[in-house]
Amino acid sequence: MLRLLLQEIRFRRNAIIGWAIGLTFLPAIYVGIYPQFEKDLAGLGDILDLPIYQAMGMNFGTFEDWIASTVINIVPILVAIYAVLDGTGTLAGEEEAGKLELIVALPIPRWQIVTVKAIALGIALFLILLLVAITTTIVFLAIESQIKTNLVWTDILWGLLYTWPIVMAVGMISLFLGAFAPRRRTAALIGTVIVIVSYFGSTLSSQVSTLETIQPLFLFHYLDSTAGLFETGPRASDVLFLLGVALAAFIYAIIFFQRRDITVGAWPWQRAKKVPA
Amino acid sequence: MTEYVIETKKLSVYYGQHLGILDVDLRIEKGEVFGFLGPNGAGKTTTQRVLMDVIRPTAGKASMFGKDCQKEGVAARDRVGYLPGELSLYDNLKVSQFFKMYFSLQKSNTDRRYWHTLAEQLDLDTSRKIRELSRGNKQKVGVVAAFMNKPDLLILDEPTSGLDPLVQQTVMELVLEANQAGSTVFFSSHILSEIQAVCDRVGIIREGQLVATERVEDMTRQQFKRLRINFTTMPPADAFTQEGVAEMVRDEQGVLLEIRENLDQVLKTAARFGITDIETIPVTLEEIFLAYYGKGNGGNHA
Repeated sequence: MLRLLLQEIRFRRNAIIGWAIGLTFLPAIYVGIYPQFEKDLAGLGDILDLPIYQAMGMNFGTFEDWIASTVINIVPILVAIYAVLDGTGTLAGEEEAGKLELIVALPIPRWQIVTVKAIALGIALFLILLLVAITTTIVFLAIESQIKTNLVWTDILWGLLYTWPIVMAVGMISLFLGAFAPRRRTAALIGTVIVIVSYFGSTLSSQVSTLETIQPLFLFHYLDSTAGLFETGPRASDVLFLLGVALAAFIYAIIFFQRRDITVGAWPWQRAKKVPA
Repeated sequence: MTEYVIETKKLSVYYGQHLGILDVDLRIEKGEVFGFLGPNGAGKTTTQRVLMDVIRPTAGKASMFGKDCQKEGVAARDRVGYLPGELSLYDNLKVSQFFKMYFSLQKSNTDRRYWHTLAEQLDLDTSRKIRELSRGNKQKVGVVAAFMNKPDLLILDEPTSGLDPLVQQTVMELVLEANQAGSTVFFSSHILSEIQAVCDRVGIIREGQLVATERVEDMTRQQFKRLRINFTTMPPADAFTQEGVAEMVRDEQGVLLEIRENLDQVLKTAARFGITDIETIPVTLEEIFLAYYGKGNGGNHA
């Protein structure tokens, strides 16, 4: 099984490198430009009090606020998109490409195939975040002497790695969708809608008092993208909840993949339960 | 009591409301080479996929080596080499990397070097990336993957598809070699001559139902006979008009008859016109197959 796991990671090698390089530019630029805009950003306080910016979680008062509002707020969304693409491509995508039949026909239980792919996806998500975190930390070290901040380099590194549970939850939901939906396109569409609704639903419901009660329904509610993250770390209950969602989605992925007719491409309820009369 | 390597009982698969296969009862004994015939969509691939637990039956049971293909699928598949009909491989791997990976994922793997031998026999360059290979060479990769573990049972879905005639011949030789070494072979093909050449028995599936299972020689012998008879005096045009007899060709020397029944009567009639020569024309499996589908001359099985 180790060879299959290594192979799965190898299949993702180019995607990991590509996404890490692509995503690196965003936090590197946000951190790198801060010294030039530090004073200007402090003057934006009134504008950022507007609900629209509050809804987007924007606060640029300090470097800690700035990096939380930009890097910590945006990177997980982008990595979550990779998680949707990879998660849905893993089962539904490989089935559509015809690659899964040869693997499923091997003397390997299906739950092991899903487990290996889930582990590979988790490792890929972690490596992307790690590479982005490392380059962001390097840029931080380069500008540290020019800014006022209580943060140290490990805060930046951990701040980004703390977002792994939420992208893992999205990844496992996508894996489940790949085992559940008839086609990858359908699974990816549902996964993307979940990410977008979850992100904007979380930020909007935090600003609208009547929506506060539904806030816990949105995954991104459990991601702390405020400066407080650097002081106390993520809430244990949030991390446990997100990992619980990931675990539940993983278990459902196994259950539905176990029952799936590979190569057929049908919803579970379209499967014939008995011979028609 | 005979232990069947493959046994299906009332095996049925429906895709929603669409029939895949219906009540397929199949028994393949150890050491047999069993050919599975049928046009596209008849249910050959569906049957093989159920055996490999790629899809699940709607009703009925399938077993290999006495183990249920669904409940004990892992143990059953451990002794099987499988070549799917719609082969798709991991394009970014080199052929040798794919073989190493595939070999390592089999439980009862023994001869680590055997895939090298197979690749050489098929003239397959294992240093190339799979994405660079032609369709025929990709098919060779699939063939090697199926045979590499020297399995007790080979399930091959159109193994010679996309291969040139020389390589087709090599693959058929591999099938026979594996069979001589003790493997049971269950394969489907559109090339009836190769089934006729290597198979002990053949099953014909039509619209999801197994319509015939017979030994190849019995099938070609029993279904109908073709006689070329030359006469001293040509019989009249309606001389052989009777149940189960069809006159295929008539020239100045004689007639070609296709006879399903009343052979005795045909010979008696022919004798009245002075037989100068009589020859049995071999009936090919292809003609039998077409007869089952009602497309052959005189076919009445459809």
